[in-house]
Amino acid sequence: MRDLGRVESGVAGLDRVLGGGFVEGASYIFQGRPGAGKTILSNQIAFARAALGEKVLYVTLLSESHDRLFQNLSTLKFFDHSRVGQNVIYLSAFSTLRDEGLGAVVQLLRTEIRRHDAQLLVFDGLLNARDRADNNLDVKTFVAELQGQAAFARCTTLFLTSTELDDASPEHTMVDGVVDLSEDLVGVRGIRRLQVRKARGSAMIGGLHQYEISDRGITVYPRLEAAIQRQWFDAPGLEHRLSSGCADLDELIHGGFPAGSLTLASGPTGTGKTTLGLHFLSAASAEEPGLHFGFFETPQRLAQKAQNLGIQLPGPDVLDLLWHPMGENLLDKLGSQLLEHVEARKVRRLVIDGMGGFSRAAATPQRLTEFFATLINRLRDMEVTTLATWELREPLTSVAGAPVEPLSALHDNLILLRRVERGHDLHRTISIQKMRDSDFNTSTHALRFTSRGLTLVSPSQWDPEGIAREVGSI
Amino acid sequence: MAVIVVADDEFLLAQMLADLLEDEGHEVFMAQNGRKALDLVRRRGPALLVTDFMMPMLNGMEVATEIRADPALHDLPIVLVTGAQGGIARDRSDLFDAVLDKPYSHDALLEVVARLLERGRGTGSP
Repeated sequence: MRDLGRVESGVAGLDRVLGGGFVEGASYIFQGRPGAGKTILSNQIAFARAALGEKVLYVTLLSESHDRLFQNLSTLKFFDHSRVGQNVIYLSAFSTLRDEGLGAVVQLLRTEIRRHDAQLLVFDGLLNARDRADNNLDVKTFVAELQGQAAFARCTTLFLTSTELDDASPEHTMVDGVVDLSEDLVGVRGIRRLQVRKARGSAMIGGLHQYEISDRGITVYPRLEAAIQRQWFDAPGLEHRLSSGCADLDELIHGGFPAGSLTLASGPTGTGKTTLGLHFLSAASAEEPGLHFGFFETPQRLAQKAQNLGIQLPGPDVLDLLWHPMGENLLDKLGSQLLEHVEARKVRRLVIDGMGGFSRAAATPQRLTEFFATLINRLRDMEVTTLATWELREPLTSVAGAPVEPLSALHDNLILLRRVERGHDLHRTISIQKMRDSDFNTSTHALRFTSRGLTLVSPSQWDPEGIAREVGSI
Repeated sequence: MAVIVVADDEFLLAQMLADLLEDEGHEVFMAQNGRKALDLVRRRGPALLVTDFMMPMLNGMEVATEIRADPALHDLPIVLVTGAQGGIARDRSDLFDAVLDKPYSHDALLEVVARLLERGRGTGSP
């Protein structure tokens, strides 16, 4: 099978969705409503190519003036003023279109591509060109001639249009690729999504992918479960275990968590989930670097909490504390950041505190099970042992011993943290509900917060008569 | 009043500039690319050229270079209006008599036009 020459877009995530970038000399339509980000995206690509020394021809018809465009682009980090007029040439073809027609525009662009030896052409104004055409044949002829001229010069072409062209439009049938940019309201928040509807010669990733616009330009976050193809992983081995960092807990689970496993620590607020995570990370080392990926507590508060409980956290050379405050997070951005960090730092001990932060970021909750499955499998593939927390809000009796949606069947081990009443005393308890393919102590132990961290108390000591009863979450 | 050639591929900007100059009583000819600008200069013998930098066929610097190399035209005052290349062009006083960064004020443009029409080339740095 022949490999086609590829042109990297320079836009994070886009090349992956496109199946390896643009095909050299091919033509693509970028379509979306005004404000969708077509201009930013195309300029970002233009300056990425220019930074590699290529020449880019950016042709407009009736749009914002070039000086206004430069003003707006100057707020973005990729915009390099010194390349304007040197590597990135902005031209208007409106007068030519109006006075002489589509054929003259093709002629003009053919001349300019050759004059500048352009390797990328951006044509902003397909809608105006369409308006100038008498019929669909004119449009087809225009697009065919332009892409033919560009392809002959090995110049990749991006057509921009603000219309929603249907799949049967002459433009769509002619070009090699079509990329949709859209923004939808989900509740009260706007979610930007990109879809590659067509990409000839490329194993594109179909469906919708979130993107965001920041001062770095556009970043595309490929849908995790679609972007990571490998879905089969060996079950975690039992021979190598990682200490939980809490000696008493290690005793209940016979030495620690199996390497590469996912342990879910589930319970209401204030029952010790985060503290369990701190224990686990206290055992991070150069051989087993750690990461706390959390949504609730700042790194400063976590460090303070560990200090107050006498849990010695290692230094930043082997432990990172990443905090993603609850807000309008993007699900795939979170997943991508987590995996990139794990890969970059070769993390082996991971605490996700809590998984609900991902759920809150999901604009489409129906995909959470697939998302978590892919994320967890990828972590296993990277030999990461994960302790994840899941906050329960319902009365405990309804969930005790039952896996929590959408993580059911995905976790290897389940630890249930509860709050129970014995006489006039309120106790925190811990019980192991599940250790995949492994023996464990099934007794419910009391959990004490001490100056040496968490300690466990056996049932015979804290509730010899067995009269404690569960209470709901506060 | 004077004959002036305005060269800019951005039609709306060229039209606004032409309207402004015509309101001052000048006769204005417009070109949407560098080649046409050069043709108009040769045919119309203007007293001033106002040109954009990035244009099809020939850019503003190429147009100015050709004009300066032509003994019949080399004294033509040239104003460059540009969105991005002002820095480079300001070092080329051999080509341009004035450089205005877009967006420029109408008053600034009219002041430069009036000065160059009255005194000709070499009446100030770009």
